[in-house]
Amino acid sequence: MRTLSRNTAAGSAPQHAPAAPAAPPVIAVRDVRISDRVTDREIVHGVGFELTPGKAVGIVGESGSGKTLTCRAVLGILPPHFEVSGGSVEIDGTDIATLTPRQWTALRGTTVGAVFQDPASYLNPSIRVGAQIAEVIRVKKGVKRREARRQALELLRAVRLRDPELVYGQYTYELSGGMLQRVLIAAAIAVEPRALIADEATTALDVTVQAEILDLLAELRERTGLALVVVSHDLAVVAQLCDEVLVMRQGEVVEQGPTHSVLHDPQHAYTRLLMAEHEQYGLDKFLTPKEAS
Amino acid sequence: MTTASPEARPAGKEAGAPAPVLAVEGLEVRYGRGRRGRSALRDVSLSVAPGETVGVIGETGSGKSTLARAVLGLVRASAGSIRVGGEEVTGYGNRRWRALRRRGIVQYVFQDPLRSLDPDLTIEDSLIEPLLIQGVERTEAVDRARAFLDRVHLSAELLGRLPGELSGGQRQRVAVARALVTEPALVILDEPVSALDSANRVQVLEILKELRAAGTSLVFISHDLGSIAGTADRIAVLYRGELVEVGAARDVINHPRHVYTRLLVGSAPTLHARTADRSEREALRARLAG
Amino acid sequence: MTMVRRVLSLTSGRIAVVILVLVALLALCGPWLAPQDPLATSDNTLASASGAHWLGTDYLGRDVFSRLLDGSRISVLGSLEVALMALVVGAVPGILSVYSGRAFEWLTLRLADTLVALPFLLFAIAVIALLGNGITQAMLVTGALVSPLFYRVSRAATLAVARSPYVEAAIVSGASVGWIVRRHVWVKVLPPIAVALAQTIGVGFVIVSSLTFLGIGVQPPAPTWGGLLASDLGYLSHQPWAPVAPALLIMVTVWACNLLADAIRDVSGEAGRALVDRRRARSRTSTSAPVPVGGSR
Repeated sequence: MRTLSRNTAAGSAPQHAPAAPAAPPVIAVRDVRISDRVTDREIVHGVGFELTPGKAVGIVGESGSGKTLTCRAVLGILPPHFEVSGGSVEIDGTDIATLTPRQWTALRGTTVGAVFQDPASYLNPSIRVGAQIAEVIRVKKGVKRREARRQALELLRAVRLRDPELVYGQYTYELSGGMLQRVLIAAAIAVEPRALIADEATTALDVTVQAEILDLLAELRERTGLALVVVSHDLAVVAQLCDEVLVMRQGEVVEQGPTHSVLHDPQHAYTRLLMAEHEQYGLDKFLTPKEAS
Repeated sequence: MTTASPEARPAGKEAGAPAPVLAVEGLEVRYGRGRRGRSALRDVSLSVAPGETVGVIGETGSGKSTLARAVLGLVRASAGSIRVGGEEVTGYGNRRWRALRRRGIVQYVFQDPLRSLDPDLTIEDSLIEPLLIQGVERTEAVDRARAFLDRVHLSAELLGRLPGELSGGQRQRVAVARALVTEPALVILDEPVSALDSANRVQVLEILKELRAAGTSLVFISHDLGSIAGTADRIAVLYRGELVEVGAARDVINHPRHVYTRLLVGSAPTLHARTADRSEREALRARLAG
Repeated sequence: MTMVRRVLSLTSGRIAVVILVLVALLALCGPWLAPQDPLATSDNTLASASGAHWLGTDYLGRDVFSRLLDGSRISVLGSLEVALMALVVGAVPGILSVYSGRAFEWLTLRLADTLVALPFLLFAIAVIALLGNGITQAMLVTGALVSPLFYRVSRAATLAVARSPYVEAAIVSGASVGWIVRRHVWVKVLPPIAVALAQTIGVGFVIVSSLTFLGIGVQPPAPTWGGLLASDLGYLSHQPWAPVAPALLIMVTVWACNLLADAIRDVSGEAGRALVDRRRARSRTSTSAPVPVGGSR
């Protein structure tokens, strides 16, 4: 695992403890506000969190709660006529508002990577998926074709695809949703970013496949110290993976804190509602008696 | 209705049970012919007693929608038998299927709330369609349909609207109401809540619970164990076209026997109850693959 | 019908409809409106426009304006014949091909492919050569030859509907094919067919004009737009402006047909509904009336 070994030191740390408390954050979001320029309405009313290496932050909320906009603001890819109207986002200590497009391009992929809900639409259907990953490596790392191919294969192995050689030569339509999401994760971590943003990355997948992807993210985080921002409408998904949770509703962070304390002592009514839905309509209700001991 | 647990209801399958609403025996469905064909379902046997709710769980490509479509006569069975309301329907041609369907014993709710209602018909027209097909007078059909709108907690104001003017959750509830207007003995729901956000999901699940309490048999197809768990009396697990496990809901969840079921339960995201850890899941996956 | 109202809510739709209604009136009443006998010759040949002859006279001294009015009937009737023939021959099998079994589907598909391969203008000329000079048989044959357009359009629209969950829901409730076509398919197939119809009428005008321009289909003294254009071109050196009138008439009519086709396309389907609703909402807000929530019917 040469390509992924840069941060192995962090990987040896226990899962729920960040690598070092003093480590500077990879991503620092400070009271970010996002407005629609056309209607002049504020959509996101102040979101803030710090993502240190090896840490995982989760954002939970319904569609329209502003969680995706927040992610997009961090990545500098807000949809047209949306803008960051307050606060700041720092990536590796640099305020992104000061970045030129060229600097942005350099930053994306190398420092921050991202995966989204619909993996098929982020890959070119007429190019073999392996070649697309190799392309990313070639451009970003400036290595030769053969080396890029070798590294791409290694990445496909790293995301636990069963037959990397076979998958390398396949097209998107030949792969299932779960496999495509793995390919995208492989592409996202190709240049060893220090943080990965997963926006509803497992929503469209079957439950068992979702668990596989979440396990993969957890493993990558342990092994390479990858910092994660996990966005989901499902509190349980976020709870499974993250140290810190932000609960968003209608553009507002209604609750924020360490996962453990949010789950055991939710302060806001909306968080309690989310949990009640899970407890009433999820598996928890059935499993609790057995696990209570 | 929120307090009734699944066990409180008669399972109905044991001693002196009434004839099942649906009985599927050794069902096989093949797509394509000859050597290039592949079977979507193999040797599936399942029965649904009157008033019972059976959850069918399976992932994409497990054959769960094929099962529903076979029961409704939308795909042909290659082998096995299907009995609907005590009537052997396996060899039925188009005409006899139509006659059977017109009686409205079995209804179907589709997954996609965006496309399950004709965009050019008003809610009223969509709602009364099954009744009109039965030959009911329009005015009477409208009267009867109104009552069912109530059952899914929608106001009669929506009757004049077009589907495009309703939210996804409202549309899905209209689709449920349409399935109910013929007062069917059995409603098959194919992923009824998968496309809905959590508030709407809860609402539809509540409606299903009320239906169950009212004695309608339900077959609830889903990939999400969580939404089935609270609604179904029994759970049937489909994996790659085969029924690998059938049992009382609580048993299947708490004591899954088949490897796939164990992985399924272990993969479900939960808040407090840790169902399985990463290494356990890894081991289960390896066993399933090997 | 809602469709008509929606088309008329568009400026382009209104323009197209006004022009086509005028052309239709010409076709209906043209021969009576003609101020002079379109066949009467005189010594006053190749005259310029004047009070007596609004568009001048041709090489035999016949009144051009009267001939234009009189000739409109053949052009309009001919193009309608093409379009209606194509509609009947194309749309009905197009819808049925989805429901009437594999053999019918295969047969009609291959037939449509074959018809597309035949050049219709040449074929029409050949038919006239075989059956004798007459515009109607030429038009009906041409209509059959353009029918694959309707076949394709109606088949595609039907296919899209036939696989939708709401049709399956109707099937599960015991609906017959007839019910499904009447209740679900027809409404969706109508707009694309209307588009194709408007287009085909335009094409029909071009074909009638082409044939009559070549002198095929109509016996010489009878006036037609294409025939007028042809004879005017022969005297271009004497009356360079003469071809403008028939040419403009043909052009404007065909343009109006295409404009109408576009308008129908714009207002049909979900997008069209939204478009019309938006316009309506805008005009409502401008008159400061309250906008009711979704009242598109």
